[in-house]
Amino acid sequence: MDTFLFHFKTAYAFWLVDHFHWMWPMLETLHFIGMALLVGIVSILDLRMLGVAKGLPIAPLQRLVPWAVFGFVINLLTGLIFVSSAPGNYNTSIAFRLKVLFILLAGLNVLAFYVTGISRAVDALGPGADAPRSAKVVAGISLFLWVGVMFWGRMLPFLWTQGANAE
Amino acid sequence: MSFLLWLEDAFKWVQEADSIFAYPMILTFHTFGMAFLVGTSVAIDLSILGVARGLPLPPMEKFYPVMIVAFWINVVSGALLFAPEATRWTFNPDFLLKMALVFLGVLIIRLIRTTVFRSAAGPDSASVSMRGKVLAATSIAVWLAAITAGRLTAYVDSWSKFTSLFVVTGN
Repeated sequence: MDTFLFHFKTAYAFWLVDHFHWMWPMLETLHFIGMALLVGIVSILDLRMLGVAKGLPIAPLQRLVPWAVFGFVINLLTGLIFVSSAPGNYNTSIAFRLKVLFILLAGLNVLAFYVTGISRAVDALGPGADAPRSAKVVAGISLFLWVGVMFWGRMLPFLWTQGANAE
Repeated sequence: MSFLLWLEDAFKWVQEADSIFAYPMILTFHTFGMAFLVGTSVAIDLSILGVARGLPLPPMEKFYPVMIVAFWINVVSGALLFAPEATRWTFNPDFLLKMALVFLGVLIIRLIRTTVFRSAAGPDSASVSMRGKVLAATSIAVWLAAITAGRLTAYVDSWSKFTSLFVVTGN
């Protein structure tokens, strides 16, 4: 983790944030926009698999997913700039490590969703069809992990750290 | 004015309590509520605008309870964040702008319910009226502005503090 942080600790990112006072607030704003986009779309898909709005066929619903990926990419990029420009806020933070862990677990969960064929199985579900138990487990884990990612991210300035800049 | 001071006094525990279950946890719930309210709303807007080809729109109304719960989480958590600094927020133009934008965003969510979901519209985005599409596009724009104004409340207490963000320092 420390080498990871070290490699992204670029002088350029620090310079940008230090030089332009609007940079950090703007990146935070983008981070919140990406978060809403990602969580909104992922939770709709998860809730459908868990049995909410069963009138929705899942294949066309999955066409919203690229927008969730877009939100994730915004947050990956802005997040990398946060970490590289103010490493002191993160490199000793347990909350940050838990956040990264939850993101990795969410990634594995998505991987499992596609690799094990659950994605194809739910794609075949038309209006009114119930998702298989495996899909419900993946959906429940996804909801838990993304709420967890928001929790560790928002609590980061308050847990096990004195960092004030990230608020 | 004395009411604002009374509020600040009555709710100063939110900030002064030395517990992560006070201010930090309330702020975190405000974040959860924002993500589920705005995220769900924008996902519905994108569907109305035709991003998800072949998606029937009427069942999307089933996600309204998610937005309603998220909205009330944020009314309560927002009130608790407002009260201990009632004077500061009451006279902060950026905060007032945020409140106006949130009010508008919620109003549009309700208008979309009557215009798109409660009208005799057809099954998918192709049959949504122009009014419905304009509402969906406006909704996205309003939420982007509301998040921006909301995030900036942490930095902008006055116009001069806002303009100071654009003063270039360092080298």
